[in-house]
Amino acid sequence: MDDTLMDRLRASVSRYGPLSLFLIPTLAIYLFFAIYPTLSVIGYSMTKWNGISPEKTWVGFANYTKMFSDRIFWEAFQNTFVWSAVIVVINVGLGLVIAALLSRVWRGRLILQTLIVLPVVISPMAVATIWRWMLQPKGVINETLTSIGLDGLARPWLGDPDVVLFALAFAHSWSTIGLSVIIFLAGLQSVDEDLYDAAKIDGATTFQAFRYVTIPALRPVTAVVFILTLTAAFKAFDLIWATTKGGPIRFSEILSTYMYKRGALENQYGYGSAIGVALLVIVSLATLLYLKLQARPEDR
Amino acid sequence: MASRLIVFGILALIAFLMTAPSAMTLFTSLKPPEELILPAWTPPASITFEHFERVWTDGGFRRYFLNTILISAVDAIVMIGLASMTAYAMVFMSFRGKLALQVLFVVGLMIPVTAIILPLYTTIRSVGLINTHLGVIFADLALAMPVFVFMFSSYFVSIPRALHEAARIDGATEFQIYRRVVMPVSVPAIITTGLLEFMWSWNDLLLRLLLLPREGMRTLSVGLLNFQGQQTRDIAGISAGTVIMAIPVVLLFLFFQRHFVRGMTAGAVK
Repeated sequence: MDDTLMDRLRASVSRYGPLSLFLIPTLAIYLFFAIYPTLSVIGYSMTKWNGISPEKTWVGFANYTKMFSDRIFWEAFQNTFVWSAVIVVINVGLGLVIAALLSRVWRGRLILQTLIVLPVVISPMAVATIWRWMLQPKGVINETLTSIGLDGLARPWLGDPDVVLFALAFAHSWSTIGLSVIIFLAGLQSVDEDLYDAAKIDGATTFQAFRYVTIPALRPVTAVVFILTLTAAFKAFDLIWATTKGGPIRFSEILSTYMYKRGALENQYGYGSAIGVALLVIVSLATLLYLKLQARPEDR
Repeated sequence: MASRLIVFGILALIAFLMTAPSAMTLFTSLKPPEELILPAWTPPASITFEHFERVWTDGGFRRYFLNTILISAVDAIVMIGLASMTAYAMVFMSFRGKLALQVLFVVGLMIPVTAIILPLYTTIRSVGLINTHLGVIFADLALAMPVFVFMFSSYFVSIPRALHEAARIDGATEFQIYRRVVMPVSVPAIITTGLLEFMWSWNDLLLRLLLLPREGMRTLSVGLLNFQGQQTRDIAGISAGTVIMAIPVVLLFLFFQRHFVRGMTAGAVK
């Protein structure tokens, strides 16, 4: 009896031993520090809790009803969409144009590409100091505008309610557009050369070829860039926090900064978590769409 | 021919504008005090390292730098080990629940760090790891794990099965096959994972702001945020701090551009 028990034990060790060696360290870390907090954020969002006291009161959906009638939440929500829309338009539109131009250059292409993509690796915190300095009232942007006679356009970019969100979106795009360029370039390499030859024979101009051959052929890649840019914009926090902290007043407040203020600074863990769940739902849906788009080529 | 020149000209202009912000920051960090009143776009007439020395010693950047490099290096190395072993199990071993595991990692791809920082903070506090580098390392590893598990998996799938079978027939254990057969042919995936995880870890602010509030524990991102808030007039010092923060990843990018480009295209979801 002991023998068979030992045998079975030995058999199961040799069966599952290596497997657990390979999986358990990762699973332990992943489940505890990623999955558990994700489930907790949903749990927290249904409580009233200051984050410290042992007393955590169950409130059901009260935080959500509060959220939906919170004017500041909707302002942040709207700002998040405006901020994301500006970034998407720049990164998809300009990103495609830059990639298309780069694909037509041979000599000097690597250096041009390197300079354009380089800001991608710079930390959002460093991007924040660079742009805060350039956008200040006496900063280099206003200095340049004044020196070329466009004084009328000069303004305190980060202090002006009408432009602050756009100025920050522009800084975000500066530091992320390189990623769009890289992905578009990869896409452009896979466009069938014969299509261009056919277009040329039909007498199409370069612009027409771009409009009627390149753009349709790049539709799947464009969708990928679109969603990646969108989710990255939705998740952003560092750049805005390090420049305006959502200000002036709330003119650059987005969901992530509002959540941080309510949750981490004002210790409203329940309410902050409800905002977190809103963010989670939006980003998850967009990522799910992305994964579906990515999976498609393999299905064919 | 003319159109080719126009294209090149437009791109050169774009590249110039894209580089200008970084270049001006570098200029400012190297200018002696008397040159700082000149417009930002003028290159320094004479170079000084006094601003770097000041932030490095008095500004605490030496400590921030060491903290950051420690966390990022550990993150990168451990990530290579854990993600590759997990991917190995998922590609080369058969076990029940493999599909469930895959789904679990796909779910992880969809979790934005921003949305879960409040419970992440309390989870790390519950095991006493606030203000420890270990706490940040665990969080970094957990949150980026799915990206790299999939990166290694897609690489491993392309390794010929025969290689693995041959080693098994020779009596090698799974760990030996992983160590001696699979990993040596996976150098590109290893480099890409190490570089990307190092960069993400180096650049992050949010998690470090929340998990490492104590001065001695701070990373460059948190240190720079604080320095910028306290020494608002010290433009040259802030620029020097920014350069210190940016230079390591910029150099890595210049040396390993191909790997970065491939990795960022594949791991773009994070």
